[in-house]
Amino acid sequence: MKRTTSVVAVLLALALVGAACGRDKKAADAPGFDGKTIKLGVLEGVSGPIADPIGKPLSAGGDAYWARVNAAGGVAGKYKVELVKEDTAYNNEQTKAKYTKIKNDVVMFSQILGTPPTKTVLVDLKTDGIAASPASLDAAWVREPNLFPVGSTYQLQFINAASWLVNDEGFKTKPICQMAIESEYGNAGIEGLTTAAKELGFTVAATARFKGTADEEYTAQVAALQKAKCAAVFLTALPSNTGRIIGAAAQKGLTPRWIGQSPTWVSALAASPTLAPLLQKTFYWTSEGTTWGDTSVKGMKELIADVAKYAPTQKPDVYFVFGYSQAKGVHAVLEQAAKNNDFSRAGILKAISEVSVDYEGLLGKYTYGSAANRSPSRETVIFKVNPAVPGALEKVKAVTSDVASKLKIG
Amino acid sequence: MKLFAQLVVGGVAQGALYALVALGFVIIYKATDVINFAQGGLVLLGAYICFTFNGQWGWPFYPSVLAAMAVAALLGLAIERVILRRMIGQPNYAIIMITIGLSIAIDQIVIWKWTGSQRNFGDPWGLDTYKVGGVVIPVVNVVQIVAAGALLVGFFALFRYSRVGIAMRATASDQEAALAQGISVKRVFGLSWAIAAAIGALAGVLLVSGGRGLGPDLSFVALAAFPAIILGGLDSAGGAVVGGLVMGLVQSLTAGYNDKLPAVLGPNFNRVTPYVVLVAILMVRPYGLFGTREVTRV
Amino acid sequence: MSQHGSHRLVVDYGNDLRLFPSWLSRTAIAVLGVLWILLPMQIGDFQLSVLNRAGIFAIGALGLNLLTGYAGQVSLGHAFFMAVGAYSWAHFGGEQNLPLLVWLPAAGLIGGLVGALIGPFALRLRGNYLAIVSLGLVFIGIHIWNNFESVTGGFDGVGGSRAARIGPLDFTALTIGGTKYSIEQAYFWLIWVIVALAALATKNVVRSRPGRALQAIRDRDVAAAVIGVSLTRYKVSAFAVSSAMAAMCGALFGSYYGYISPDQWNLLLSIQFIAIIIVGGVGTVFGAIVGALFIAGAPLMIEQYSSSIPLVSYLTKQADMTVATLNQLLFGLVIILFLILEPRGLAGLWFRLKTYFKAWPFSY
Repeated sequence: MKRTTSVVAVLLALALVGAACGRDKKAADAPGFDGKTIKLGVLEGVSGPIADPIGKPLSAGGDAYWARVNAAGGVAGKYKVELVKEDTAYNNEQTKAKYTKIKNDVVMFSQILGTPPTKTVLVDLKTDGIAASPASLDAAWVREPNLFPVGSTYQLQFINAASWLVNDEGFKTKPICQMAIESEYGNAGIEGLTTAAKELGFTVAATARFKGTADEEYTAQVAALQKAKCAAVFLTALPSNTGRIIGAAAQKGLTPRWIGQSPTWVSALAASPTLAPLLQKTFYWTSEGTTWGDTSVKGMKELIADVAKYAPTQKPDVYFVFGYSQAKGVHAVLEQAAKNNDFSRAGILKAISEVSVDYEGLLGKYTYGSAANRSPSRETVIFKVNPAVPGALEKVKAVTSDVASKLKIG
Repeated sequence: MKLFAQLVVGGVAQGALYALVALGFVIIYKATDVINFAQGGLVLLGAYICFTFNGQWGWPFYPSVLAAMAVAALLGLAIERVILRRMIGQPNYAIIMITIGLSIAIDQIVIWKWTGSQRNFGDPWGLDTYKVGGVVIPVVNVVQIVAAGALLVGFFALFRYSRVGIAMRATASDQEAALAQGISVKRVFGLSWAIAAAIGALAGVLLVSGGRGLGPDLSFVALAAFPAIILGGLDSAGGAVVGGLVMGLVQSLTAGYNDKLPAVLGPNFNRVTPYVVLVAILMVRPYGLFGTREVTRV
Repeated sequence: MSQHGSHRLVVDYGNDLRLFPSWLSRTAIAVLGVLWILLPMQIGDFQLSVLNRAGIFAIGALGLNLLTGYAGQVSLGHAFFMAVGAYSWAHFGGEQNLPLLVWLPAAGLIGGLVGALIGPFALRLRGNYLAIVSLGLVFIGIHIWNNFESVTGGFDGVGGSRAARIGPLDFTALTIGGTKYSIEQAYFWLIWVIVALAALATKNVVRSRPGRALQAIRDRDVAAAVIGVSLTRYKVSAFAVSSAMAAMCGALFGSYYGYISPDQWNLLLSIQFIAIIIVGGVGTVFGAIVGALFIAGAPLMIEQYSSSIPLVSYLTKQADMTVATLNQLLFGLVIILFLILEPRGLAGLWFRLKTYFKAWPFSY
């Protein structure tokens, strides 16, 4: 008896809380748009394992961009943009819960941080007919009509980097190896290098996987790489792993050329007295865009101006640039939707299939269109580490290899 | 052969660190019968405190380490007095959960105060290596073995020959009798937490040095030390050391020779070998290699 | 550790054991039933998702309660059995799209079998040793899930059809009498009826012979053995039943989220369950449910209203803390505080409250 009465009490309390928030009987025609303001959902990761290296600067980039848009009057000069932010802590369950929380309040999602969280809500995005832009470069997004992908793909990054090594840097006969984290992200990197190897005619001498937890020693992986006498290692890792892996390898006498995907970098690496000299000699970063502060590139010039005005304390950060560029892309979608005068969910999906975006040098050219016809940028920019430049990453070369250009995606 | 030598050195170094962490557990367990799931948190705090002294306030390295150990000892004492003291007499699972709750809280406090970014640790040896007969040995491994070894020797000397050590052994053996002999059991409790925290701090410093970088995920290392503790037996200090070394070596060798293992075990089998070894040993000796068989009064 | 000794006057043994002894409790059950039907139509999808998650966790917590609260065996391996159940869903439900009445019992059966296999070995160990070996189970489990790609999809994780069909009813697209109901609403009805059944089953076990045997083992197992309680049989059964319930919880989890990956079956998940039964009240059936509601609901409520809760907003602003960090911190602190101040959890608080009013005006 005591059990049940108390359960009643608890449930009644809950019902009271719930009654305070009633149920929308009818969904609005264009949820998230009230004729004056456009609401965008942001499923960001500002706490959790990648918050400080990636999550926070990425969101900051988006914030700075939208601040400028609003200052100039908003989308189409009349609709202000409001960001509805929810923290997912890079956790699948949290992402789904937050998605459910705000899905009826927003026009679309301008950011979902991470491959696993995006995969988790993709199911619901399709059921609900909502669009989202993932902050991740998995190739699976290219053919999804509910997703608005930004940036190239992890696979293409490695294909281009491998072409550069083999064709321009004389690695045709040297052993090339791979080290990838155990996740979908790691699998993407492996897919990229395997394709490159097949097309360019070399074999990957060794492939090592790792978990990336704090207690990992990388003994097994380094031993495998040493056995294969790797001259170059393609690294697919999270920022917290990079320093440890390169350091562990160096300590055992292995100092190959490291090619890191875009999420492997974090600015603290360049400031490390132990690692910086080594990185300068051996580490190369694959991404897009240009060196921070390179005002010869239009997009970068605007970015620097926006940083000065809206985010003056922001230090040079590559993820800030990505978040900013992503916002640029979403802005183009909203402008297209404004042109069609249709901010409904179906209207946004239509806008995504019609839009074309000029990233002004911050990212490569992405050919949008219907999901079946999309083609991400085939260009990858290789950076090297130079503590003298802002952000410590200096552009070396932009590579668009034949293999990448001809690659069929999805 | 070269690989083998490298693996052994790496394994012994890793094992020495497991031994340090395990010893911290065992000290607390022997004195207070509490399994301290928060030992990882103490390791984490110790490393971050040292970073604050050395990296943020600019003190030289070795004094920072010693100061960090001292501060950690005080923290351990405080935790014992404020939280654990109230749990005397509570059932086992309750105390385990309190230490788990504590470890969660410590993790968050660290993220809050120092943010979750990776920090660079200013240890003097960094990525340096020795070359001994063609084998590349990282300096940090040598430092780990020497420092851990020195601390272990020092601790055992303390335990065996000093008054404090005798008081701790007496309390561990029979609390009532120790009380009857005039030993302040409360003080011994506090002291064991203080010593365990200080040892944990040193282990933390040694773990992050050598280019590994300091991050909030360091507390997970303590979890990896659990199999070592159980292997040696929860209440045996010597067992903790043996267990740590065995686990470190087993892990290192399994890692290095992973390709020789049957494929069905999966790559990176070395991650679970400690647990597999643990389960295997416990089937044969349920109290670990050197643990004492529990005698319960009915 | 007799928790809920009822303070009413009982005159015969049968009456003491009755589930719903007074008219008040019978009315309460009726009210609950009505609430169960009406609630999804009154509150929004987000609140429902919180309740759904709480319900799923409650099922697992009931199982763990049986093992830890009644049988006294500390196990940190709950996440492992959840995973077993979840991958059963992935195979039978996600891949082969069989109806719920096939994959849910299948998950329970497989979980129970695995538990029965592991039990005899694990339960040779006592107290602390068992806790740590069960921890090892979680890690070995993660390794297996990462490598057993044919079933678990490896690191990619695995999704599939939610397969929430019972006969003609499909809970992913429920239409009754022309009205279309959302997934959250449909799952609420499904999940909470299962919770009710699980609670009933557990309560029945507890108040009958096996339950008394378990409590005897918990209090003094050697003494229990002396009076003829078969230790191995009951311990292993408790382990098996607890594993079966954890597996069913995991299967529902998989069906609800539609996508599972190996890394989510980690130690933190196991710890959440232990936190649930501690906060709710160890050794009480209703405590498991209330604890689940608290642990699933509180963080999201704090985040939702963080700007209006004065202490929380003060703390986060002054201290430059994100609400997420605060939530995690509170999680740890709540565990500590409950254990120090009210070891009997929320259930204990409730009983204190009730006893006070029952004895009023003589409550001193």
